Amino acid sequence: MERWLLITRIALRNLRRQLRRSSLTASAMILGIGFLMFVRALEGGAHLMYVETATRMGTGHIAMEHPDYMGSQDLADRIVAADLATARRAVGEVTRDHEVAAIFPQVKVGGLAQSASSSIPVRIAGVDPALERDISFFADKVVEGRYLEPGDRLEAIVGVGVAERLRLEPGSRLVLMAAGAGGELESQLVLVTGLFRTGVPEVDRGVVQLPISTAREWLDLGDDATSMSVILASDDRTGQIAAALRERLAEDGVGAEQVAVRPWWEAMPDLYAGLRADAVQTYVMLVILLGIVALAVVNSILMAVLNRTREFGVMRALGLSRSSIGAMVMVEGVILTLASGLMGMALGLAISMGIFRDGVDISWLFGGDLAFAGAIVDPVISPAVLTVDVVAILSIVMAIGVLATVYPAWHATRIEPAEAMQTDE
Amino acid sequence: MTSKEMAAGSSPAVETHELWKTFGEGETAVHAVQDVSVTIESGEFVALCGPSGSGKTTLVNLIGGLTDPTRGRVLVDGRDVGAMSERQRAQLRLDRIGFVFQAFNLLPVLTALENAEFPLMLRGVSREDRREEVSKLFEHIGLGGLEDRRPGALSGGQQQRVAVARAVLGAPALVLADEPTANLDTQASDALLDVMEVLNRERGVTFIFCTHDPRVMRRARRIIRLVDGHVERDAEKESGDLPSWVLDPVET
Repeated sequence: MERWLLITRIALRNLRRQLRRSSLTASAMILGIGFLMFVRALEGGAHLMYVETATRMGTGHIAMEHPDYMGSQDLADRIVAADLATARRAVGEVTRDHEVAAIFPQVKVGGLAQSASSSIPVRIAGVDPALERDISFFADKVVEGRYLEPGDRLEAIVGVGVAERLRLEPGSRLVLMAAGAGGELESQLVLVTGLFRTGVPEVDRGVVQLPISTAREWLDLGDDATSMSVILASDDRTGQIAAALRERLAEDGVGAEQVAVRPWWEAMPDLYAGLRADAVQTYVMLVILLGIVALAVVNSILMAVLNRTREFGVMRALGLSRSSIGAMVMVEGVILTLASGLMGMALGLAISMGIFRDGVDISWLFGGDLAFAGAIVDPVISPAVLTVDVVAILSIVMAIGVLATVYPAWHATRIEPAEAMQTDE
Repeated sequence: MTSKEMAAGSSPAVETHELWKTFGEGETAVHAVQDVSVTIESGEFVALCGPSGSGKTTLVNLIGGLTDPTRGRVLVDGRDVGAMSERQRAQLRLDRIGFVFQAFNLLPVLTALENAEFPLMLRGVSREDRREEVSKLFEHIGLGGLEDRRPGALSGGQQQRVAVARAVLGAPALVLADEPTANLDTQASDALLDVMEVLNRERGVTFIFCTHDPRVMRRARRIIRLVDGHVERDAEKESGDLPSWVLDPVET
């Protein structure tokens, strides 16, 4: 016990004795870890936001579609009304109270939009105007005219890109053409009520929304739909719920050949790949950064050891064992890295939850197009400090402390007392 | 009855058998210690003298297990130092040997008191006992009131006295002292040598000094003169005498 007290006392005093060097090393750690913490919080916040906005753009946290629809985009590959009812019931059965924020059918079909001036291919989406106002962002993204309202029948809203290419404005007439349920080409005249700008180029340049009741009638779909989306209050249990849903539907006689249940990462593979690439990129960058920080720590502690060769020699001569000498250097390095690592985490937390509590505006990063892998990006990202990150960063701090100290400590244990006491300091 | 006679019957404090220490190899090899075989009984008060570079410090380092011999054996208390593990050697130094190094070699981050009690702390002596021993000795050797000073705030002589205090506190069986009085004035030297003599006489502590200092040699009861790593002369004497052969003509 006395020995450990002595070792710790000497280690602490040596840190204080080399105040400038200790401070510089600590600064590198504090800034490195602080930056890591903040970047992870920002990325965590951004990823939560991407998923949130992407799911609310219509896909939902869980999308149910005919298994072939994703590839064919053909109305023949749709979910019939009976299966939609079964799916809706099954969702209620496999989820807890308040877990489902919304569940709604959609009709999505590829077609042509024709105005007096020209015609372009578009994605036509039949939506529930009342529900859409609550859950999606389209109503907030209207830049001219108004969004769809309950009671609208022959009204439609178009992206600003569509409006530009077809020279439309609120009040313009537009003809939509698509293959109906029977395979015949059907057309529908609608009135443009408003224009929206989401920031996602493919949406703004190619999406037309109209009430789902109108779409069903026009395309002769009855109560069928191309998809059923489930928006959850939180993304935490998406995978579990999707799996339970698959099982329950199969038990109810709706097999995977009729309805495919896809969590958002399967329904939006581009977004998922984008998020993963983003995380890997950050991870690689941070590993390099922390590697440099670790080298700085190794250098600092090794210098401290080399400068004290004589002292280590004296302590060895007085009867301190090699392992105690090594322990002394380890204690010194670990105290330095742990203390500065914790300070760095506190700094990162202060930046994330204090200075940038109201969010960081990253609109400059995305230029004019506020989109990430097809998801609308809110240019103001609120940092989110996740428990998993705190644990991971604390582990990284400990690992740096131990790894960066092992070599200097080993070096110190190799010091031969007789030779060491002949060195000049 | 002398302390030497008191200790008779047990193993000698130090034995060296055909001890060699060579630095470097081939033509550049330097034989710092050559074929030294000496026996120092427990309770002896021995001065190692000889010109600079004669191998005194190397011999003391070999005896203390601070460096390994090229050939030969060192026994301390009858135990072969060369056959011990690193840990056993560290324990031997901690339990049995006190060192006074040529340079003061105090630890700069510790106070005078902490430096002096360092080996006692490692031995697990209680705080009260340590403090009592240190205070008593510090008072005696003129370090009273300087307990809380760091080495940087002490004079050379004061640092050397702290180093000696560190070596003799807890009365180790053997004290190896390399030029312990080199930085001290007459009064301070005498005070230190008095302490060492008392420890030698009353507690049977064996002292081996490397020294050029006639004051130390006068008090020694045995003088071993080394020249070029060899034992040139090894003789017992009465305390107070100073034989003419101990003095190196160049150095005097």
